[in-house]
Amino acid sequence: MDINENIIETTIEIFTTMVMMDISVAGPPLQASGALTDSITGMIGLAGTHKGVLAIHIPNPVAIAITSSFLGMDVDEINDDVRDAVGELANMLGGNVKTILSQKGRDIDLSLPSTISGHEYGFKATTNVDLVILPFKTEKGDFVVELQLEK
Amino acid sequence: MNIGQDIIDATTDIFSTMLMMDLNVGDPVEGPGGEVLSNITSMLGLGGDIRGMLAVHCPATVAMAITGGFLGMDVDELNDDVKDAIGEIANMVAGNLKVAFAGYDMKIELAIPSSVVGESFRVTGMLGARRVAVPFDMVDGQFLVEIKYIVNS
Repeated sequence: MDINENIIETTIEIFTTMVMMDISVAGPPLQASGALTDSITGMIGLAGTHKGVLAIHIPNPVAIAITSSFLGMDVDEINDDVRDAVGELANMLGGNVKTILSQKGRDIDLSLPSTISGHEYGFKATTNVDLVILPFKTEKGDFVVELQLEK
Repeated sequence: MNIGQDIIDATTDIFSTMLMMDLNVGDPVEGPGGEVLSNITSMLGLGGDIRGMLAVHCPATVAMAITGGFLGMDVDELNDDVKDAIGEIANMVAGNLKVAFAGYDMKIELAIPSSVVGESFRVTGMLGARRVAVPFDMVDGQFLVEIKYIVNS
């Protein structure tokens, strides 16, 4: 399996088992994540034999739906619960991507996850990276998983 | 461990040796902070004996001034040069912190810098993480260097 397929498989697995939400691939890989509006980004750094960042960019309504499903409670605005849930999503994805990149994920360490939220922001790597940017769809809208790996 | 002092040393070292820019160092703040106002933030993850996230938060004026210091020319918008420059600051501060942590017998590895640019965005980290932040004043304004981390058991 190539890395795109691995990331797709692991994202669907996390959403099915942990978030309890059905998702599917929304289209072909994107060139860039672009300007993010009324969105929230969960990100986590990968350090060691592979260096990079795993990010998940989610529009607010989708983030609210994900959090409600994840936490099993009604959420109706972007609050600390949503930020925590999105950070935890990045954490879980990062953990799985570690094992995709390196056998048993031994030689790669995860950073602390962080979230960014706002009305309009851009998110990009400032060193030379290879990008894998994959769109997914949910009932409430699409989100994007972005892996940046240092060349 | 005195992470606040380590951040001060790491940052002032870069500004005096590489940028030759004057800085007024503020007092380190520990614990959860209020909202950080930033136009451009560069974030860099740290892994290994700690799980951390270093962030350099700048208003536009300061980021452009720092970039001008790097490039030796005036910068008047938050373009790729500015993102690269603040990313490089984060990278160098993290590199210096890696040495500081080695002094505490802790081995950390650096991820890669990500720049976040916008008019009003909010950065939040993991609840329960330790947080140390140091403000630095320059002629064009103030920037903040912040680390959040948990010690890996």
